[in-house]
Amino acid sequence: MKPHALLAVLAALLLLPAQAADMNKVLRVALNAPETGFDPAKVSDLYSSTVTENIFDPLVTYDYLARPAKLIPNTVNALPAISADGKVYTFRLKPGIHFAADPAFKGKRRELTAADYAYSIKRHLDPAIHSPWSFLVDGRFVGGNELVKAAGKGALNYDAPLEGIRVLDKYTLQLTLTETNFNFLPILAMPAFGAVAREVIEANRDNTNAHPVGTGPYLLKEWKPGSRIVLEANPGFRKLVFNATPGNDPVDKAVVQALQGKTLPQVGRIEISVIEEEQPLWLSFLNRQLDISGIPQVALQSALVIDPKNPLKVRLTDQYARQGIQLQRQLLPEITFHFFNMQDPVVGGDSKDRIALRRAIAMSFPVSEAIAGIRRGQAVPMNYIVPAGVAGHNPAFRGAPKYDPAAANALLDRFGYRIGSDGYRTRPDGKPLSIELACGTSSTDKQWNEYWQKTFDTLKIRLSFRQGKWNELSKANHQGKLQMWGMAWGADYPDGENFMQLLYGRNAGDSNAADFKNADYDRLFEASLKLPHGPARNQLYDAMNKIAVAQQPWIFGDIRMRSTLAHRHVKGLKLHPLLGTSWRYLDLQK
Amino acid sequence: MLAYIVRRVWQMVPTLFGVMLLLFVLFNWVGGDPSYILAGKNLSAEALAGIRQQLGLDLPLPQQFLIFVKQVLTLDFGTSWSTQQPVSALLHSRIGPSLLLTGSILLLGTVLAIGIAALVAYLHGSLTDRLVTLIATCAMSVSALVYIIAGQYWLAFKCGWFPIMGWSDSTLDNLLHYLPLPLLLGVIVGLAPDIRFYRSCFVEELGHDYVRTARAKGLSEPVIMLKHVLRNAMIPVVTSLMMSLPYLMMGAMLLETFFGIPGMGKEVVMAVERSDFPVIKAITIYIALATMLFNLLTDIVYKLIDPRVQLH
Repeated sequence: MKPHALLAVLAALLLLPAQAADMNKVLRVALNAPETGFDPAKVSDLYSSTVTENIFDPLVTYDYLARPAKLIPNTVNALPAISADGKVYTFRLKPGIHFAADPAFKGKRRELTAADYAYSIKRHLDPAIHSPWSFLVDGRFVGGNELVKAAGKGALNYDAPLEGIRVLDKYTLQLTLTETNFNFLPILAMPAFGAVAREVIEANRDNTNAHPVGTGPYLLKEWKPGSRIVLEANPGFRKLVFNATPGNDPVDKAVVQALQGKTLPQVGRIEISVIEEEQPLWLSFLNRQLDISGIPQVALQSALVIDPKNPLKVRLTDQYARQGIQLQRQLLPEITFHFFNMQDPVVGGDSKDRIALRRAIAMSFPVSEAIAGIRRGQAVPMNYIVPAGVAGHNPAFRGAPKYDPAAANALLDRFGYRIGSDGYRTRPDGKPLSIELACGTSSTDKQWNEYWQKTFDTLKIRLSFRQGKWNELSKANHQGKLQMWGMAWGADYPDGENFMQLLYGRNAGDSNAADFKNADYDRLFEASLKLPHGPARNQLYDAMNKIAVAQQPWIFGDIRMRSTLAHRHVKGLKLHPLLGTSWRYLDLQK
Repeated sequence: MLAYIVRRVWQMVPTLFGVMLLLFVLFNWVGGDPSYILAGKNLSAEALAGIRQQLGLDLPLPQQFLIFVKQVLTLDFGTSWSTQQPVSALLHSRIGPSLLLTGSILLLGTVLAIGIAALVAYLHGSLTDRLVTLIATCAMSVSALVYIIAGQYWLAFKCGWFPIMGWSDSTLDNLLHYLPLPLLLGVIVGLAPDIRFYRSCFVEELGHDYVRTARAKGLSEPVIMLKHVLRNAMIPVVTSLMMSLPYLMMGAMLLETFFGIPGMGKEVVMAVERSDFPVIKAITIYIALATMLFNLLTDIVYKLIDPRVQLH
């Protein structure tokens, strides 16, 4: 075990809260797209979640320093006891944790109890809420389907007993799953499963997005939708002392040096601006109007010295290094891919000629060239459905075909895609061959389209583009009207199941955008659900990846590298693959 | 006059109905389906159907239109589909910053443009006139985005004369710190076309017989320009100004985005991107109403400026 994995954030709970945050310490950060709200059962966008994770407390969370990501207790005394059959999870809450003050509590301090978590989880099942996360809990809990069915299109009866979500006593919550699942815990670490208080939700029923009240380190002070969000340290937050043993990683050492023995959070106020344009974002950071920022694409060349032989090897340019700006980088736990509509009569299906067509396109797409041109080298090719940093990833697997346009053309020749008198290929039955690729309307989309045009020109296949807004294209895809489209999938939780389900047949028309249906894949996926993370499950994942490679419903894309900058006075920063922000761990020493 | 106003107000009803019908048809035709945005990663048929039901999108179209009519009559457009916030509260919080920005730009821009236009018109045919016209033509050919990007980079970042961006709850703070740069850039963007337009109005007036007569009577040039020419040239100027007033509500999307001003321009873009129909409906209806009212006001002002104008 690596030394830094020994990290433990020891929470010393006192009956009275201990406000440590200095209200004069103001952290200024930016979101580069507008948020939608702060009701954890209603929002699913990344930007809203970065805020909700600082307001609400899930049962478990992640160790700040440990890599790969490691679950630790948050509001519970210890990680839950899981029954031998992987169906029953029992959580024991720490007593003495309180919600932030709210008029709904009528002046009384409101303690967090197991019933709050039961209520919060049930909200994701409620048909009246339409939780974007309901797919994570639908059918999971014993009796859950019946309760949802009884609700019809109305609200869920939260008071009806539910075998799958039981409150054993004030501090004990028991979840009983319908199927064996040893990997359910990471789902409960998501901000979406943070505890809300029923009375607050009911008092603000018409506008729960604007009234987030949780037990987390911060509370919402001000919200101007799409423009500005202000968080302030929750004066009732439990005493949480940072105590960790660093490993050899210099970042870990710096974090420990800055925070050891301090009560969290240190920063009293967080001002979040929504800045969608790259120039004001970048200039605001350089001008010290922001403390932390990503590096916009246009500024990569000026901010980083990129090794031309290995673009992932970078350092800050001297100009910025001299100012003490800190650079941190990590591969995102995500994948990007282009899928084929597997039900499409031209590109779909499992006949050999269709597989050859899909394979030829995959073999002709210059992923590395596109990464160099569009991402400025700040990405790696995707080779496995589960990305690095997520349980189940296999770094040795090479799923992407070798870039070889000549072999791709030969493959098409072999399977009857002949070149006609007009210089373009026809289908094996002699009909014209033309493929439509759906795409967005941004300048980056247009850059990708240039590479796709080049790919199809190489293969002598006619290509057209169908531009549209995301929701329009998504609707068209659900109606089976698209042939190809590009997507990205970020880890909701760091378990391979979150990615392997993207090709599961029962998810066709839902998260399985390719409408891929393969009996062998489905059988292996269902078997993998019953296994904990480990060699046996990895073996199944390898077999499923081989099926995906053989059938080619996707063209593997890339995995992006995130670069984050912080000014010298920001202490305690370490990027985390699952936690959207580090705010509660930061200190400002100007 | 009163009869004229009543008749014009009455004529607004079918116009507004036409706007509503057009908006409703356009949204349902090309507006995009918001359920796919609200569903997040949960794109099951049941989830999408549930959201459509909640938004009322499963109702027959005539019924949906009737709801829209009721919203217009009560000026209550409900809540935003994407954020759940009351539309009225959203627009209320956005209109102030937009009006402060666009109103200042219009006011300062108009004063400057009229002054410069009157001057170069007076110097019609001179080197100054030709130089100003040439500069204005060149300036008009540069995209507004270039002014904004260059202005923000050089004036705020490099020279440090202004903050890069930002907005405060204090109007005084905004006027002193955050407004000047977007105001300056907004004025620069609009100045060139305005100067050219106003100059042509003045030049046209200067060629009329009454100007020659005034000069023959021995009136001073300032009196001719300010009392006679300016007044007659004001008809097209007022038309142009009044027509632009309703759009002050729309804000200045680029300036607001680049300078972090929480105005209507940003809200419009967000609403369109998210297919947030309640917000789109409210903004469109308010703009339509304002346009009709300002058109009426323009006609009344014509009468005040030039008593020869008859309102029928």
